[in-house]
Amino acid sequence: MTEMSNTQIRLVRLALIVGLIAIWEFYARFISTSSLIAGPSDVAMAWWPKVMGEPRVRAAVGITLIELAVAFAMSVVFGMLIGILIGLTNIGRRSMYPIVLLLYGIPQAIILPLFVLVFGLGPASKIAFGFSHGIFPVIVNTIAGMRNVSPHLLAGSAAMGASGAQQVRYVIFPHMVTTVFAGLRLAMTLTLLGVILAEIFVSQGGIGFFTLLYSETFNPSALMALVLTLALMAIALNELVRLVEARFSRWKD
Amino acid sequence: MEGAVDAASPMIAIDHVSMTFVGREASQTVVALDDVSLKIRQGEFVCLLGPSGCGKSTLLAIIGGMLKATAGSVIVGGTAVNGPRPNDMAYVFQESTLLPWYTVLDNFRLALKFQGIDDASWRDRAMHALSAVDMTQFANHYPKQLSGGMKQRINLARGLCVGTNVLLLDEPFAALDEQTRMVLGEDLSMLLARTGKTIVFVTHSLAEAVFLADRIVVMTARPGKIKAEINVPHPHPRSPDFMLAPEFGEIRNELYAILRDEIRATVARMREARDAAG
Amino acid sequence: MRREQLLIRSIQFGLVAILFGAWWFVTHSSQKLMLLLPRPELVWREMQLLWSSGRLWSAATITVTEIVKAYVIAVVAGILVGFLVTRSRNLVRIFEPMLAGMFAIPLTLFFPLFVVFFGIGPDSKVAYAATYSFFPIALNTIAGFSSVDELYLRAVRSMGASSVQQFRYVYLPGALPVTLTGLRIGFFICIASVLGGETLAAAAGVGKSIALSAELMETARLYAWIAFVVLASVMLNLLALAAETRSERE
Repeated sequence: MTEMSNTQIRLVRLALIVGLIAIWEFYARFISTSSLIAGPSDVAMAWWPKVMGEPRVRAAVGITLIELAVAFAMSVVFGMLIGILIGLTNIGRRSMYPIVLLLYGIPQAIILPLFVLVFGLGPASKIAFGFSHGIFPVIVNTIAGMRNVSPHLLAGSAAMGASGAQQVRYVIFPHMVTTVFAGLRLAMTLTLLGVILAEIFVSQGGIGFFTLLYSETFNPSALMALVLTLALMAIALNELVRLVEARFSRWKD
Repeated sequence: MEGAVDAASPMIAIDHVSMTFVGREASQTVVALDDVSLKIRQGEFVCLLGPSGCGKSTLLAIIGGMLKATAGSVIVGGTAVNGPRPNDMAYVFQESTLLPWYTVLDNFRLALKFQGIDDASWRDRAMHALSAVDMTQFANHYPKQLSGGMKQRINLARGLCVGTNVLLLDEPFAALDEQTRMVLGEDLSMLLARTGKTIVFVTHSLAEAVFLADRIVVMTARPGKIKAEINVPHPHPRSPDFMLAPEFGEIRNELYAILRDEIRATVARMREARDAAG
Repeated sequence: MRREQLLIRSIQFGLVAILFGAWWFVTHSSQKLMLLLPRPELVWREMQLLWSSGRLWSAATITVTEIVKAYVIAVVAGILVGFLVTRSRNLVRIFEPMLAGMFAIPLTLFFPLFVVFFGIGPDSKVAYAATYSFFPIALNTIAGFSSVDELYLRAVRSMGASSVQQFRYVYLPGALPVTLTGLRIGFFICIASVLGGETLAAAAGVGKSIALSAELMETARLYAWIAFVVLASVMLNLLALAAETRSERE
């Protein structure tokens, strides 16, 4: 079996995607009789002016992005703080880390209604829910980053006369930051998950209002247009974070 | 010890073998071997020696049927090689290939099972092979519990246990420290004297080649061709004293003189490639 | 060593005790948070009520059935697709990045579409959760089967192993650890997805009960439901952890 070149691989992928869209269009237009199936052409037509053309929809998407940014920033900052506090002492880590993991494993959807009760229907509950999702991978990565500093590097710096504080500043801390950056994509994905989940849940405003509207008026093309727009944004965000990650990991082998 | 001398029907006949590797992009195409021919007698210990990338491991893989040559043929024991021949040739790799999820003993059992031997004799054969390398007490251990030297010893034993006439070894001691290498080399020489197998051994260590081989085949840098063949007429089993003998040093120096140019050529080519890549 | 273990356990239990103590204290000393933070004993009473009235069980049955259905679909599809993709290096290069990319999007976005197609009943949750947990299973299966060192396959081939023997003695045991990890991740994603879907839009189930009690401002009952799910999740996580450490010991 010969290996295909990189360009060939990309072409095949493109062909697959185009093919799938074509089949979807064919099925929606000619085969399906259900009004619940929307083809790509319907989605495209609904996109503007009906969905993204609506200023209220654009505003909702914009607010979602702001909520995401805030929640993400909070996750990183507080996640690192808590992670450092826990990972600082051996005892602290060994007692708190299992608790963190147990909390991480709880399906957070169950506390969503509670969050909305406590924080209200506005952006606060979405930010809080995004924060509660994204903080965990950051904590876990921070703790891991503090633990797995290569003992060779520490021994080397000690041999050159570095004090404990200097080791923390020049060896341990940078290493920890790179480990956190390595997990940034997961933190972004989870934060976005929390924000989206909360948005869809609160159907009195924001994106949730429009998903509910389009669902109840049986407008699958508009719904799909909105959803796909958000999905594309999620992909773009993911790529952005990946680039940031790569930029900060240039020295890695 | 010389094997059955029969130049008319060698154990291994390599006939005008060439090997070209086609890469993903055109620039990655590599000519590993260029028209190599060689005859190996039964019971002979031949070393393939050369700089990195000279194609010696590739040649060994072609002999063993793991790779198909782009041109030429290999005949072992009178039959052409078309794929692995587990009943005729045993292959020992550079890294330990003991399956990590089975014990040492189970690894032997599988080796025999793959060859088609699935009866109750496997245990005796396995223990016999392990005692030949002094590793019987580790029969029920898992590979990860053993050191590198121990694992290679066992790999060697597994290669012997399947009872083939030909043994192909691809730098089996390369990953080990020097003392372990010397001890294992000694043991290999002893085993060879006792069993009379035909052995093809790939190495890039001059001392190892002179100590072990009846005949050393020196290869050029890529594309690999045979540059020279040197005989080492000292009988097996060889003790470490052989390394002090004057003929050892002479042969070793001769090898170095032949190889020096090839090694420099390889370094120069690597430098060129690096500069071209920018 | 034992002394350290003791210290760790006491810190952990101490923390939990402090939290409960604070909860008790705050709710008994002030009336202000009563709506958002009910008294522990009220929550406990609601828990008992849910248990004895059977409401817990009827909701749990629906939820668990959805989880099991979704997981089975995800496992079968995930392992099948994952294995087939690894048959050729080209296939892996084509599909693995696509699958990884799709997994990186919060698939929760598509949940409303599932509801439009499948309605508000259990089917939408099953379809959604099956889709979501398919990805980690398929991706890990691909990783597992790709990670089997070529070296072992070559060695075993040189010893004369047939394709079936190669699969049974090298491929399968080599791929198993990573694939099992994928199954574990997929399982927890399945649970989270089903509960998430039920909370967003459902006719019945644990998630629905939680959303409903929040809507009706029955906070004690809300906390009771949450408590049950937390307990179940903690037990599952501990079980998974125990299974993992036991398999690592072998």
